[in-house]
Amino acid sequence: MHAAIATGAAGKPARPAPVFAMKGVTKVYVMGEVEVYALRGVDLELHEGEFTVLLGPSGSGKSTLLNILGGLDRPTAGRVTYREGDLSEAGERALTRYRRRHVGFVFQFYNLIPSLTARENVALVTEIAGDPLAPEDALALVGLKYRLDHFPSQMSGGEQQRVAIARAIAKRPDVLLCDEPTGALDISTGIAVLGALERVNSELGTTTAVITHNAAISGMADRVISLADGQITSDVRNATKQPAATIEW
Amino acid sequence: MRALDRKLLRDLWNVRSQVLAIALVVSSGIALLVMAQGVFGSLETTRDAYYTRYAFADVFAGAKRVPNWVEERIAAIPGVRQVQTRVVVSVSLDVPGVTDPVNGRLISLPDRGRPALNDVALRRGRFLDPDRAEEALVGERFAEAHGLDLGDRLFAVINGRRQPLEIVGVALSPEFVYGIGPGELVPDPKHFGFLWMTRRHLATAFEMEGGFNDVALTLADRSPSLERAAIVELDAILDPYGGLGAIPRADQTSNWYLQNELTQLENMGLLVPLIFIAVATFLLNVVLRRTVAVQREQIAALKALGYSNLRLGVHYVQWAVVVVALGALLGIGAGLLLAEAMLGLYMEYFRFPLLIYNVSASSILIAVGVSLVAATVGALGAVRSVVSLPPAEAMRPAAPETFRVSLFERLGARRWLSQPARMVLRNLSRRPVRAGLSIVGIAFAGAIMVVGSAMMDSMDELLEVQFNIIQRQDLSVSFFEPVERSAVHELAALSGVLQVEPTNGIAARLRSGHLQKQTAIQALAPDARLQRVVDVDYRAIRLDRPGLVLSTLLAEQLRVEPGDTLMVEIMEDGRPVREVVLTDTVDDLLGVTAYMEQESLRRLVRRDDTISGAMLKIDSLAEERLFGLLKAMPAVAGVTLRSAALENIQTYMLDNMSMMMSVNLLFAVIIAFGVIYNTARISLSETSRELASLRVIGFTRGEISSILLGELGILTVASIPLGLLLGYGMIAAVMSAFESELFRLPVVVDPNTFLVSAATVLGSMAVSAWTVRRKLHDLDLVAVLKTRE
Repeated sequence: MHAAIATGAAGKPARPAPVFAMKGVTKVYVMGEVEVYALRGVDLELHEGEFTVLLGPSGSGKSTLLNILGGLDRPTAGRVTYREGDLSEAGERALTRYRRRHVGFVFQFYNLIPSLTARENVALVTEIAGDPLAPEDALALVGLKYRLDHFPSQMSGGEQQRVAIARAIAKRPDVLLCDEPTGALDISTGIAVLGALERVNSELGTTTAVITHNAAISGMADRVISLADGQITSDVRNATKQPAATIEW
Repeated sequence: MRALDRKLLRDLWNVRSQVLAIALVVSSGIALLVMAQGVFGSLETTRDAYYTRYAFADVFAGAKRVPNWVEERIAAIPGVRQVQTRVVVSVSLDVPGVTDPVNGRLISLPDRGRPALNDVALRRGRFLDPDRAEEALVGERFAEAHGLDLGDRLFAVINGRRQPLEIVGVALSPEFVYGIGPGELVPDPKHFGFLWMTRRHLATAFEMEGGFNDVALTLADRSPSLERAAIVELDAILDPYGGLGAIPRADQTSNWYLQNELTQLENMGLLVPLIFIAVATFLLNVVLRRTVAVQREQIAALKALGYSNLRLGVHYVQWAVVVVALGALLGIGAGLLLAEAMLGLYMEYFRFPLLIYNVSASSILIAVGVSLVAATVGALGAVRSVVSLPPAEAMRPAAPETFRVSLFERLGARRWLSQPARMVLRNLSRRPVRAGLSIVGIAFAGAIMVVGSAMMDSMDELLEVQFNIIQRQDLSVSFFEPVERSAVHELAALSGVLQVEPTNGIAARLRSGHLQKQTAIQALAPDARLQRVVDVDYRAIRLDRPGLVLSTLLAEQLRVEPGDTLMVEIMEDGRPVREVVLTDTVDDLLGVTAYMEQESLRRLVRRDDTISGAMLKIDSLAEERLFGLLKAMPAVAGVTLRSAALENIQTYMLDNMSMMMSVNLLFAVIIAFGVIYNTARISLSETSRELASLRVIGFTRGEISSILLGELGILTVASIPLGLLLGYGMIAAVMSAFESELFRLPVVVDPNTFLVSAATVLGSMAVSAWTVRRKLHDLDLVAVLKTRE
């Protein structure tokens, strides 16, 4: 099973098989004496190269879903597979290896290492990855060619978030998972960040999932999945994708 | 309980292991102080009570033989309150079943009633019956060492005749609290004992009827001027009777050692506790700074709710107060226990018939007070920056920490360093003061270890020099009276004796201007091999020029240099005064001594060619028989075994030092653990978000552990050389503080001592690292990403 996760990226099937498959996934958090249902029997497939937006208000379970896809959390019940590997059964080491090889993360609060420059934050990942982009190329892809040697404290929020995207994509991940990537940003910097995600998705073909409560972002997705109260309420495919630059909120 | 107090308790509970670590550092300082003060106070009070209750004298003098009627003249000296004359003789003792040579001192007690001065405290049995010649009281330690009981018998060898003594009581005396025999450093009750006999019977046995050879007196007050005047008068009176020079209480052997010990204890109670308190203050400041930074928004909210800066300041100061209070509680308890254990150890070597516990409350209060003030200052420094912010500003997250490329990287190392290594370096260089203080803190732990073990190293060195380089005889023999030099041949003729060298010593008072010093001049043959004069590099000095060689310390005390002339007052018949040139000084380690070539001394004293003792090298197979033969020689007053003396000192050191060593080890570990563990927890708290982010992007637990522990490792490794250096400096300071007429400890640090110190520090780091690593494993990856810091 571990081997399956490890080799999952190697074989790309001709007909797009799902990258992720969730079957009856339930997640229950025990908070003291109360049980909180974050996910209630979710079934979901995500496909190769797809740009998916997971939309929902806070508490809808979208972050939990992303965390399970990213190997940060395990479902209480149900089954999650990544290609041929079973994430719901994987151990701590296997999940670390999975995140290390296949997943790129972008967070609401960037989570950059303040003691490292933009280039070094990206190098953090390229040093442990198999076939990475050069940190400079990754940063150029998000429009930060000229901010290579700046520390996080010397950059704006939008710039920091784009460093985070560069860091996430530098290892050429199979999937890019973004948790409210524009949540802490104003609209103009937010759009620059979305532009970077759009470009990564189209140029590198990285399967991308963005969770947000901001419905405006759903315009740029191939597919929009809405969640409420731990369940999927709708799953819509956009006929035409709206360019990030034209999004407004 | 107010809400803010609940918050205080819960905050403390959340960081309980850090609180405990700091409290332990505080408690170590307070425990040391309470211990030193407790032992000092108890010994001092006990001594004073003992001296008063048993009438310890103010001035002591010996003479050859003084007629009894002179006592009235002594009593008439202005300022003298009481006089006690006695007969005191040194003898060789024969204890049934003991083959080693045993020496003793017989002291007379009045025929009737208790002595007016230097009374004895009866521990067991009864006082002497004046009508029974053979009765004796025996010193407690001597009785213990030989398992002697009431009714047991032993023999004093007097003029070659065995005088039987029956033990009727076991006693202690204020004169012999530290009961050492001549030439001893440490009491050796197996080989030397004090016994008391009725004056009449002792005088008869030693042909001292109608006279005395020892006198003690008390003065109306103990002012130095009165004391000096009384000594001059007493010397003048005793002069015609072979007076050996009077000494004040301060120079009385037992009292002198006791006073030395008390002074050391008093000094010890200060420096080391201060180090602990300083380290604790630093730790409190660091931990509080972190707490306050994390609670920045809480503080803002509290201010928005109307809490004043003062109230919030007090809240965090209370934090420090609770830690110090906890430390004080633990420290006082541990200090009292340690004091009791130390006193138990002291009571083994310093004997008192009573023990008054006296731990001065004021010194404890001062220690706790100093800790509290220091902690408060540390806390205030941490809180000030946050309470001074307007609430609205404080509610926003703090600006991201600014980092720079570290100096080390700018020097060109950057390209060789991985990103995690760069993180470690930049984290350290961002707070250089904190990193520096952490290093100093850990270094103190290493230093404390070095000091503890180096004391042992120095003592070993001292013994090595004294017993292998300077003294090389197997045994030394002393005579009652100087005997003719031909005695050397008699001794050499005894079977089993391999080599004999004569020794000659005279009591003398050295004077230079108004400075004077009572000592003994030792005469040595120019080619002496069994006892030598050795310089600071342990090379033997040949005594081939006429004139004096003095211990450097003695020369300094008299303010003389080689080439200067000294007046030598010889404390023998007529007390002649002669001029002698100081030819050389010698940096010796033990005692303060004056040496002369034997022929020059003989000319100085202008007497026949006599010797006062001899050094022997013997065949160990013939040992026992030889002891018997020596004891039977009428002229022999005592026989001392070098091996026994050495063994005795080593036992004493082991007793004393092993306790100090364990205490030191414990405290060093506490301080090292306190600093390293807190440093680790703080960096964990500061970087947990980063570390969790790294975990999320695929770093393994091992990889993030190495980032956190790398920081600790650098601090610890950097502290080791500093600790060794600090330790060396501290031991040098301690040794020079210990420098006394008794001994000068050489500053010697065995390489093993450094190794043990470094190993202790590294061990503490390993334990801290292991503890913190477990916390790393529990990092909540999801939670850390959902919140901003």
